[in-house]
Amino acid sequence: MGKRVAGKLKRWFSSRKLKQKVRYLVLAIIALYLLLFFFIYMFFIEKSMMNYTLESNYKTMVSIGNNLNSELNTIKSMSQLIMTNSNIAAYLMNDSTPGSRYAHNAITSIYDISNNFNYINSIYLYRLNWQSVHIARGITYVNTAIMKEDAWLKEVYDANGGCVIRINGNGAYITKSGEPLISMIRVVNDIDTQKPIGLLVVNLSSKILEDSYKDMEGNGKQFYYCDESFKPIRSVKMLTELNKLEITGERFNQTTTGNLGNKKIVSYYHIPNTPFIIVGIEKMSYADAIPSKLGWVTVALAALTIFSLTFVSIFISRYITSPIERLVQSMDIVKRGWLKRVSLSLPDDEIGRLKDSYNNMLVEINNLISQLIEKEKKMQKAELDALQEQIKPHFLYNTLDTIAYLALMEPSEKVYDAIVTLGNFYRKFLSSGSKEISLREEIGIVKDYLKLQKLRYEDVFEDEYELDESLLDKMVPKLILQPLVENSLYHGLRPKGEKGVIKISVFKKEDKIHIVIFDNGIGMNEERLSRIMDNSRNSFGFKGTIERIQYYFGTDDVYDIESVEGWYTRVDIKIPI
Amino acid sequence: MVRVMIIDDEKAIRSLLKITLEREKPLIEVVGEAASGIEAINTIDIYKPDIAFVDIKMPFMDGIEFSRLAIKRYPDLKIIILTALKDFEHARKCIGIGVSDYLLKPISYEEIKNTLKKVIGQIKKQPESDESCDFTADDGSSVARIKDYIACNYRDPEINLTSIAQKFGFNASYLSRLFKQKTGTGLNDFLLKCRMEKAISYARTGTLMYVTANEVGIPDPNYFGKCFKKYTGKAYSEYLKNPVG
Repeated sequence: MGKRVAGKLKRWFSSRKLKQKVRYLVLAIIALYLLLFFFIYMFFIEKSMMNYTLESNYKTMVSIGNNLNSELNTIKSMSQLIMTNSNIAAYLMNDSTPGSRYAHNAITSIYDISNNFNYINSIYLYRLNWQSVHIARGITYVNTAIMKEDAWLKEVYDANGGCVIRINGNGAYITKSGEPLISMIRVVNDIDTQKPIGLLVVNLSSKILEDSYKDMEGNGKQFYYCDESFKPIRSVKMLTELNKLEITGERFNQTTTGNLGNKKIVSYYHIPNTPFIIVGIEKMSYADAIPSKLGWVTVALAALTIFSLTFVSIFISRYITSPIERLVQSMDIVKRGWLKRVSLSLPDDEIGRLKDSYNNMLVEINNLISQLIEKEKKMQKAELDALQEQIKPHFLYNTLDTIAYLALMEPSEKVYDAIVTLGNFYRKFLSSGSKEISLREEIGIVKDYLKLQKLRYEDVFEDEYELDESLLDKMVPKLILQPLVENSLYHGLRPKGEKGVIKISVFKKEDKIHIVIFDNGIGMNEERLSRIMDNSRNSFGFKGTIERIQYYFGTDDVYDIESVEGWYTRVDIKIPI
Repeated sequence: MVRVMIIDDEKAIRSLLKITLEREKPLIEVVGEAASGIEAINTIDIYKPDIAFVDIKMPFMDGIEFSRLAIKRYPDLKIIILTALKDFEHARKCIGIGVSDYLLKPISYEEIKNTLKKVIGQIKKQPESDESCDFTADDGSSVARIKDYIACNYRDPEINLTSIAQKFGFNASYLSRLFKQKTGTGLNDFLLKCRMEKAISYARTGTLMYVTANEVGIPDPNYFGKCFKKYTGKAYSEYLKNPVG
């Protein structure tokens, strides 16, 4: 299945135009590059960011703890001031009824002292007999019964004068508004005897908690205070994020949750000397994590990449694909059958050279074609020449005159013979259509021709034949022997002034058929022999005939000619069997 | 009576033409034939034709070439060219050299008659000049010079009685008689003798006939062969094989 898809894709891509290919390729590279860039970038950035965030998170948590402790210490100092106040001691040490002078003084002192401190919700001062004075902002319900329980008191006494911090005094103090209170509870000892003389409870507004992280909040950071069982102080709902966080015995722990791009760091910190656990939930923000300079460099790099790839694409398009496309368009004209050269201005590079080569090739092809046409024309002309040489009136009319003379002078038998021969000759000679005939027919034409010529030039020559019958079915181009025989007669024998011989032989030798036309006429000297294949008038008929044979059999080696001036000429036509 | 000479390389055609022309007797008389221009040059002074039928296509010296020569030499001679080709180029050439008319092959009796009628009308028959036959002494030295001239120029195939007479400022028939009287031989015979003696010496060295023919100013080997046989009584080839005397 995958293979088939890949194959299809490959075929599809192969069939695209070059320009599209380049475009697709560049796009693919850009996409791939960006994707790769993005992932690598994210991976490293996130990793470094995570480390950074986690570390800073710890610091934040500790800092919040310090803030809280610092505030609490301030309050502790205040409670110290109250405890050491003489009016307070007087109230606790002396038997006094409510509304007594001691009580009044104590309250006044507490007011005076606490007035300079923040977060104070209420302050309760108990004597050992649970008589008390208090100051309070807002309404607070006090459940003294809870306080009297042993478990509640034991811890306070065990603190040995130190502060015990409880949320809502473990249920002893409930505000009407429901706002949680932070209760600092400590035993008041006699300064001299160091014996417990009373109990001081300072209830603090939970604002002290919120203020401890006020400065750190924002930027995706949220903090929640919990009690030691991780129950949020301000809310009844448990924080779901805490499910991800493994609660260990450690004072601090943190973990990350969420997906890439939407990560949260969840952490908790058990603040020392307090029953509070601060829980932080921080949304990771890349903007914060990534140094802005690095970000710009990255964007610049990506932009540069895309720019350079685009540039490469444009370059390829402009200097490679476009010229090729134009070249192809120009070349397409050949499809319509015009072997026309491409005239385009192309850069002088490989593509330009391609065009030049293509043009050169076209020139070559045109040359070849015109050569072929030229050759074909020549062949036809030579054939026509040979034909015309005989059809033209000289031969026919002279022969007719000869026959006319015979009719007047000779026995009618001879006239009859001459007329039949003439008819035969012209029938074979003009046999329409086929350019090739059998050697037998060709020799038949020559025989008739010579028979007629003998009537005209009876004292000039004899004709002889020596033919291998088995070779006479070989097909040859028409009228290849007659012009050669005519040459023998007119250029060999007649100028000699003596009776001669024309001999035609056909035989096989070394896998070739040899057709030899021999005459013992005046022959040729070396110079004429060497010029016989020139286009001179002297070689009329010979060159054209040889070229036709060469063309027909597709080889140049089709003839030998030898001659001795004054004695003979021998033309040997060699054709493949 | 109009004297006609037929010059054609094909015997059959000469004969046919002769037979045809003889139907026009006694107006016409065929006085001679020649198988080539070369032969005609050598015999025309003997036949003295008024009209010559000349085949245009002949070996050794074609009809045009012969006609040009003949018209120059015999201004009164009417030449009728025989051709198988009705070709403008040919016609133009013929008219250009002063040929009277031409006849197309194959020969038709009707055309011959018409052409003859036309050409005969052009003949200005001059009365036979009957100059006095008293030869001056000076003529003797002329004959000697002419003999020298022939001995030097017998290789030239174009010379004949008329061309020599014109060269030396004589009337042809006058020169003929003068030469015969002074030397006892006709001028033509003298020229032939020069050529044949030379030919014999060539034959003795085994020279091929057509080469010899060329060398002695009769470049038509057929005519040369006839002359040689007539002069020596032997064929040239026999002479080659058996060179005696």
